[in-house]
Amino acid sequence: MADTIDAIGAVTAEPAASRGGRRPGSGFARYLATKLVAAAVSFLATLVIGFVLFSLMPADPVQSITRGRPTSDAQMAQLRKQLGLDQSVPERFFHFVTDTLSGHLGNSWEFQQPVSSLIGDRLWPTLLLMGTATAISVVLGLWLGIRSGWKHGSWLDRIATGASLTLWSVPTFWLGMILLITFSVGIGPIPGFLPAGGMSDPAITGGLDHVLDVAKHLVLPCLTMVLVIFAQYVAVMRSSIIDELGSPYLLTARAKGLRDDDVRRRHAVPNALLPSVTMIFMHLGTVLGGAITVETVYSWPGLGQLSYQALKVPDLPLLQGTFIVFSASVILMNLLADVIYRFLDPRVRAQ
Amino acid sequence: MTTSAPVHRIGRKAAALATSLLLGTGAGLAFAPTAVAADAGNTLRMPITGIGIDSLNPFLAYFAGSLDVFAGIYPALDTVQQDGTVKPYLADSWTTSSDKLTWTFKIHKGLKWSDGKPITAEDAAWTFNLIMSNSTAATANGSLVSNFASVTAPDDTTLVVKTKKPQATMLSVSIPVSGIPIVPKHIWESHVKDLKSYKNDSFPIVGYGPWTLTDYKPEQYAKFDANKDFLLGAPKYGHMIEQSFKNTDAAVAALRSGQLDYVSGLNPIQYQALKGQSGVKAYEQVGNRWSGIEVNGGARTRDGKKIGTGHPALGDIKVREALARAIDRATIVKKVRNGLAEVGGSYLPQSLPQYAWQPSDAEKFGYDPAKANAVLDEAGYKKGSDGVRVDPKSKRKLEFRLGIHSDDDGDAKVSTYLAGWFKEIGVKVDIQSMSSAKLNADLAKGDWDILMDSWSTGPDPTYLLGIQTCSALPDSKGEGGSTDSFFCDKDYDNLFLRQQSAFDDKERADLLRQMQAILYKANENIMIYNASGLAAYRTDRVSGIVDGTANSAGAYPAQDSFHQYLNATPAKSASSSSGGNSGTLIGASAAAVVVLAAGGVFLARRRSSSDDRE
Repeated sequence: MADTIDAIGAVTAEPAASRGGRRPGSGFARYLATKLVAAAVSFLATLVIGFVLFSLMPADPVQSITRGRPTSDAQMAQLRKQLGLDQSVPERFFHFVTDTLSGHLGNSWEFQQPVSSLIGDRLWPTLLLMGTATAISVVLGLWLGIRSGWKHGSWLDRIATGASLTLWSVPTFWLGMILLITFSVGIGPIPGFLPAGGMSDPAITGGLDHVLDVAKHLVLPCLTMVLVIFAQYVAVMRSSIIDELGSPYLLTARAKGLRDDDVRRRHAVPNALLPSVTMIFMHLGTVLGGAITVETVYSWPGLGQLSYQALKVPDLPLLQGTFIVFSASVILMNLLADVIYRFLDPRVRAQ
Repeated sequence: MTTSAPVHRIGRKAAALATSLLLGTGAGLAFAPTAVAADAGNTLRMPITGIGIDSLNPFLAYFAGSLDVFAGIYPALDTVQQDGTVKPYLADSWTTSSDKLTWTFKIHKGLKWSDGKPITAEDAAWTFNLIMSNSTAATANGSLVSNFASVTAPDDTTLVVKTKKPQATMLSVSIPVSGIPIVPKHIWESHVKDLKSYKNDSFPIVGYGPWTLTDYKPEQYAKFDANKDFLLGAPKYGHMIEQSFKNTDAAVAALRSGQLDYVSGLNPIQYQALKGQSGVKAYEQVGNRWSGIEVNGGARTRDGKKIGTGHPALGDIKVREALARAIDRATIVKKVRNGLAEVGGSYLPQSLPQYAWQPSDAEKFGYDPAKANAVLDEAGYKKGSDGVRVDPKSKRKLEFRLGIHSDDDGDAKVSTYLAGWFKEIGVKVDIQSMSSAKLNADLAKGDWDILMDSWSTGPDPTYLLGIQTCSALPDSKGEGGSTDSFFCDKDYDNLFLRQQSAFDDKERADLLRQMQAILYKANENIMIYNASGLAAYRTDRVSGIVDGTANSAGAYPAQDSFHQYLNATPAKSASSSSGGNSGTLIGASAAAVVVLAAGGVFLARRRSSSDDRE
């Protein structure tokens, strides 16, 4: 994380003068090793924090699970034993750490199934929704950000900035419901034509039809996500482009007689890109977490919803499992970002 | 300056990818509706009940969604109809011995599991015995067989159940939805060893019922095929799809857009919005749920040891009476439930009219703030300078924590009214909004003063009444227990035991009413209202969803999913509902055109600027 922030600071302070040519040498192995060790330490720390955090949660999951169903004392005691609730906290911690390190995420209390298979089931829907939404947001946000920043104050800038900031400040849940009502139920002369929820129509089976059906179900949740998150890319890209505008190297480039478009594309954009790259990676790290509100509005069967459900019981192994997966993805993406900076920015190499 | 080129190329590829995704989606819009149209009329589309399906293993599952599925795919001994009468199912008839300890069920001949093997009394005996002898198998339904001494199947059509004590509730032990589902022995025998981890997910699942489960995706859907030879009458649909909707607003949208045929669990606003809609019938069901407050009159263990941090003044029955008299239930019914509820009184809701009880005018703790104030004055709770009364014994102010469910907007509304009314009688409340998990945890430890709560019941009220018995209190270590208000009363417990072995319906009803009178007088469970069940279905797609006759208030009998799925019939217009679909198709094509046009403009814009690019 520290490196990420350094990178942003460094970029805005001084543009990268030249790139390419020099390949990372033996220094790279050492750099990578330190980053790997740091990542491993962060991961272990999150394990401990995660466990402590969830163990402190005051709740009797057995009561939550069995509420409203006839259950005898013996049954409840048996259920507590089955769930390992009769173990002391240190015992549970020991099992948790050894299990995690050996790749087992335990058994969900609520679903009585391995946590890993529950997470596996939800992984693909989350990746599909968040991946598509992030990809579209990145492309759209960066493109708009570059255009707006380059000609800031222009009509495009005013519209893009205004629209993206407005959408960003709209509550996601509300926006989701509005889109849902407009495009799924229909308003006035507009008939509804998109599904109100779920990831696919169970009645539609078979290859292409199914793929198209999933795509159709993806439109509204994805659109909601994009409308909410693309603003960040517009804002960051726009401001870094504006930061570059007055730089002497751009003046030089212009003085050489290069066209405005070339100056923007070949000189300004590459230098202004780093903060956005940072943000992309940070975003990718949180992609797995899903988006609880969007997943709830559209009943999208993703990881965000799974962890929310786990929190309600609370289903400790499931919470810990999702927590581990989320933390690991953030740590992994930060590690990747660190490695990629080394290729993108010579100043990181010089460290 | 060579590195900018790759960046640019990546950007262009990404743009192309995004465009193709959009185009792909557009194409999807145009195709999918036709696929749905082909299927219309023969598939019943329902939402997954409650918060979902926790497991398909009937020995382990607790959630309403699972119980709903099992009711459709596994048989039960008998079934309780909506009017409360018992009807044969797997068992054609039953007899009870004169000492009421032996029950003999005659199992219907000639029925077959979905894989063609015969259904015999041995399947039922094996299922019950497994739950009685295997603690894992008892996870979900152990309490239902706790009074069983033995279960045997002397021949293929005879099932003999011997109980330790007479049990009047025998006929609700194995009924659809809330009773024990009977599973095929020949399939489950090999899974006894790994019962805890067995997911029961090889489709189609071998069972017997109105439906066969052919596919299931967690949090997404369950697909069923009809059993055309079903004993109690085949479903009128060829297929049923249950889909998961995580919020009712989306489910309502899905109903309006034709993705669902039926929704339930509506809130008053959704209900009223659907009420005026053409092609939709929104209706009230007689409530099977009470909503009210629980008062911590002294949390304790089974052996009488005090636990928790409850306010001592709440142990005084006069304080509880004053609270009960300070609540204007009619206003809450009107303002919070938009009139779609009945004022609470009886512990058992109106869906059990044969057992429900109401206080006489003399017994009633109606809304009367003057009387409430007088009761507190008389009991010595003097008002301090801040208007809050003080407990003369503990010298503590009458300031109570009021726990409410953070995910229930009804709780939030009701608690605001309560706070105002309680203030009028010199009682201050601190509204604490908590997750259900936290609320339940505090409850078990006795760390609470007043809680908002709500319970529903199936056709047999034994469990709901059971949580108010002394044996539901936690053990001496403060663990276990399933109590709600730490209520414990010997007379109540005696009546509870007697009703369990009362075989005469009238006698049992009388005992249940006496128990409710005791609960009412104690004011530890103060009923506020009984909300109506609110549901809606599409009249252009389905009929027969609502059965029975509405009562004088226009509410229909509550009906469980099992019967509903049998009664549902495709509406006549359903097969020719292409009008809606062609509308959908037009919309879809329009959207595709818009997307294509947008893509075209985007590409054109790129081309126009491409001359000055490289």
